[in-house]
Amino acid sequence: MKVRLKAFARFREVMGSEQDLEVPEGTSLKGVLVLAAEGSDKAREALFSGDDLKEYVVLMRNRKRVVRADADREILSDGDEVAVFPPVAGG
Amino acid sequence: MKRAGKPGDLSERERQRYHRQILLFGTEGQERLKKARVFIAGAGGLGSPLAMYLAVAGIGKITLADHDSVELSNLNRQVLHWDTDVGRPKTGSAEEKLRAMNPDITIRAIDRTIDGSNVATVTKGQDVIVDAMDNFPTRYDLNQAAIRHRIPFIHGAIRGFDGQVMTVIPGQTACLRCIFPTAPPKEQFPAIGVTAGIVGLIQANEVIKYLLGTGELLENRLLIWDGLRSTLDTIDVTRNPRCPDCGEMEERT
Repeated sequence: MKVRLKAFARFREVMGSEQDLEVPEGTSLKGVLVLAAEGSDKAREALFSGDDLKEYVVLMRNRKRVVRADADREILSDGDEVAVFPPVAGG
Repeated sequence: MKRAGKPGDLSERERQRYHRQILLFGTEGQERLKKARVFIAGAGGLGSPLAMYLAVAGIGKITLADHDSVELSNLNRQVLHWDTDVGRPKTGSAEEKLRAMNPDITIRAIDRTIDGSNVATVTKGQDVIVDAMDNFPTRYDLNQAAIRHRIPFIHGAIRGFDGQVMTVIPGQTACLRCIFPTAPPKEQFPAIGVTAGIVGLIQANEVIKYLLGTGELLENRLLIWDGLRSTLDTIDVTRNPRCPDCGEMEERT
């Protein structure tokens, strides 16, 4: 199945702004990010801390926020759009 | 949409001062700004451009809250505070500059740290709450106060060349907690004045549009500014029905 992955702000620097990924049926949201980070140390470093997604990474599936704890239970469907970005907190 | 009450008359001096923007939205629009009460939480990087531009636009009552004193390391971005202000409370410094910029409006500066114990009191009766804070725990307090009082809340944040803005209309749109359920890690964030200026002014623009009832607000849209690429993206977002802050609220139009 096909999934679109969009990255914003700093993440775009390392992942590109948008990519269409061919992933196996049953792939989770986290699984897509693991695949996207394959072959890019920078992308992996931006998204993951060890095997876990970094806490502050904002994950969206079809424009709805997904919490990190649910990312590997969130099974995607064909045509889904996943967005990732880093929140900023300063002022 | 909640309006700022019965319009007050403009003086001849005010008609001159705001002439160019009265061309844009008429005396009726200017009177709306004059009657408006805007609460700005923070007189730092975001609070400086926000307060300055809202003051010169003629927002009738601006309340600023901050408990810090001006430090030398603030001056690269907090343009309300100058070299001669180092060591002064930010509220006094801000009040003085804003009064000098526009004596035709009312400025109130509260020298207090906003937290869960006072946020509901200090924001009560305001028409808009603006987020110019530097941390998420206080932003969550403001978000909750906005929901409790049903006051629109304009979120903004910066880090380095990156920034984000979102407008929350309680009960209608995604709130801050819907999109950011947990706070990012605390850090001494890198900051440059240009990013605070850009993001703060996008927030000020949202305040003005809301008060005038014109244009399209950043409702259910998170705006992301990427200063290194000079791009603005908006990401569509929706309410989280299980949001701990606004999930129980009924839709009200």
